[in-house]
Amino acid sequence: MARSNALGLFGGPKAALAAAGKLRGEGFESLDLISPIPLHGVEEVLGKKKSAIKRFTFFGAILGGLGGFTLAAGTAVLYLHPTGGRPIITFPPFLIITYEMTILLGILATVLGFLISARLPVFRERIYVPESAVDKFAVNVACDAEADFKRATEILREAGAEEVTEIAPGGGQ
Amino acid sequence: MRRHEDIKFADVNNDIVRSLVETGPRYYVTLAIAVLITIACFFFPWFYQLYYGIGAAGMNHPTVWGTYLASFIFWIGLSHSGTLLSCVLHITNSEWRKAMYRSAEAMTLFSLMVAAMMVMVHVGRPWFIHWALPYPNQMELWPNFRSPLMFDVMAITTYLTGSSIFIYMGSIPDFAAVRDRTTGWRHHMYVLLSLGWRGTDTEWHRLGWAYTFLAVLIIPLAVSVHSIVSWDFAMSIVPSLHQTIFAPYFVVGAIYSGTAGIVTVMFVLRKYMNFEHYITKVHFDNLGKLLLALSLIWTYINVVEVFTGWYSNDSAELESLRYKLFGFYAPLYWEMILFCAVAPLLLISKRFRTSFVPMLILSIAINIGMYTERFLIVGTSLSRQYLPDSWGVYVPSLVEISILVGSIAMFCTLFLIFVKIFPSVSIYEVKETLPAPDEGKTQWQEATH
Repeated sequence: MARSNALGLFGGPKAALAAAGKLRGEGFESLDLISPIPLHGVEEVLGKKKSAIKRFTFFGAILGGLGGFTLAAGTAVLYLHPTGGRPIITFPPFLIITYEMTILLGILATVLGFLISARLPVFRERIYVPESAVDKFAVNVACDAEADFKRATEILREAGAEEVTEIAPGGGQ
Repeated sequence: MRRHEDIKFADVNNDIVRSLVETGPRYYVTLAIAVLITIACFFFPWFYQLYYGIGAAGMNHPTVWGTYLASFIFWIGLSHSGTLLSCVLHITNSEWRKAMYRSAEAMTLFSLMVAAMMVMVHVGRPWFIHWALPYPNQMELWPNFRSPLMFDVMAITTYLTGSSIFIYMGSIPDFAAVRDRTTGWRHHMYVLLSLGWRGTDTEWHRLGWAYTFLAVLIIPLAVSVHSIVSWDFAMSIVPSLHQTIFAPYFVVGAIYSGTAGIVTVMFVLRKYMNFEHYITKVHFDNLGKLLLALSLIWTYINVVEVFTGWYSNDSAELESLRYKLFGFYAPLYWEMILFCAVAPLLLISKRFRTSFVPMLILSIAINIGMYTERFLIVGTSLSRQYLPDSWGVYVPSLVEISILVGSIAMFCTLFLIFVKIFPSVSIYEVKETLPAPDEGKTQWQEATH
């Protein structure tokens, strides 16, 4: 059998998390929890997640800082305007530009990091149940073989799934 | 009326989708009035001023900065509480933020836009506004990065970008929830806006981190924006403006008037969008406490400002102080003290804080007082500079007053459009304050009911 997905729909987060934990324990690796709210305790069940967003923020901010200072100092050097023998590159005012640009690029890089690491925006169909944006909690598990699918369905039902559906590869229900 | 603990997850979706798609005649009438006032009071006088020249405004020697800049500071100030408060409350995990932050952030966004428009009006020749941007050019134009005006350009651009991104990012899951419930052009719009959000554990995890990072970046940014606006004044050598306390004074004043603005907006949303069971007395109580604290800090800074001027014993400082307290504009000064320092003391009473109409009246009074404060800073300081031959009185012209009224209408127009496009109460975060379908009461509910 080709790869297919078992999708169990739960009425509450506890049952969904319990089902996800059990599936994980049985060796199902490709698991998704689809929920209307961020769930607390996902990390204990599905393992700790790491994201690259902080690196984006950090390097974006550094780039912004350097760029900001270069912009202010560069402009001052290019358009020379000596005032009373004072230095052309003056730190206190230029640090403010540096500060603002640090934050601006930090913000933009965070957004970029978010979009890349959350894999958004999406242009193809993916498995989705509209009820999970209201009050249902879905557990989506990818199965490689028929036997796996049966086992996953069993676990989902045992954990109290209101409904278990098979989703063919390609995403359509 | 439903109580908070009776609300189910599905009710939240229903209520908020209803607020977006069900539009009564009252909404259209209000929108039409707001648009008409914007055109009649903002754009017509502005075109008149562009046609006849900046002389149509009452600004002249010695007071070359008038109500346009006062309005600019006022709108920037109003923008301060939304995103800043939302960020601070997000980082401190305050549950009461969740029902109100979206519209507070929208307030930030739109008041920033209006503030930017006020600069356009003030500069007189807005078609040269790109000269303020640092870009290579052959005109020997020199963007002076030592000037607070250039700091302003950078700070406000950053703040506008940051606030837009912050409100949008927090809305992505809600756009997805609304996407599934709408049809036609709305559906297409939300499909684009939601970027294909599904609500998987990975997506929530990424959103949580990114949102927190943005909050951490925006807090210092918001503080810097109004400090920089204050330096537009404090870095001059005009008596009563050249003061080190100006940066904290402006920041506190901004958060103060912004919080009052949030109270006004919350009242209107609660009443006219039927969000009674989401925006409750708890929110007004907490906002009231915040307002009280801010009014006390603001009063303290005002006392310090007067004392510093008096203690300097500098004749120009003393004259501008005397002029402020007892001169031509003195009634405005005492009106400001009454509205911003004395009246908010009522907030000591919990009964006052949890009464909706008195809170609305007080919040509007505070903002009238805060507008007066900005007018006094801009208008009266330049009226009394060092030499008596450069003294003069500034009175705003009809064009200026009209543009002020028009800017308020413009803000209302933008906000009215917003409530029909953005879910004005966050769907997923309100759900977080409710018990999940297989849980008992949440901590928030136990604490508040």
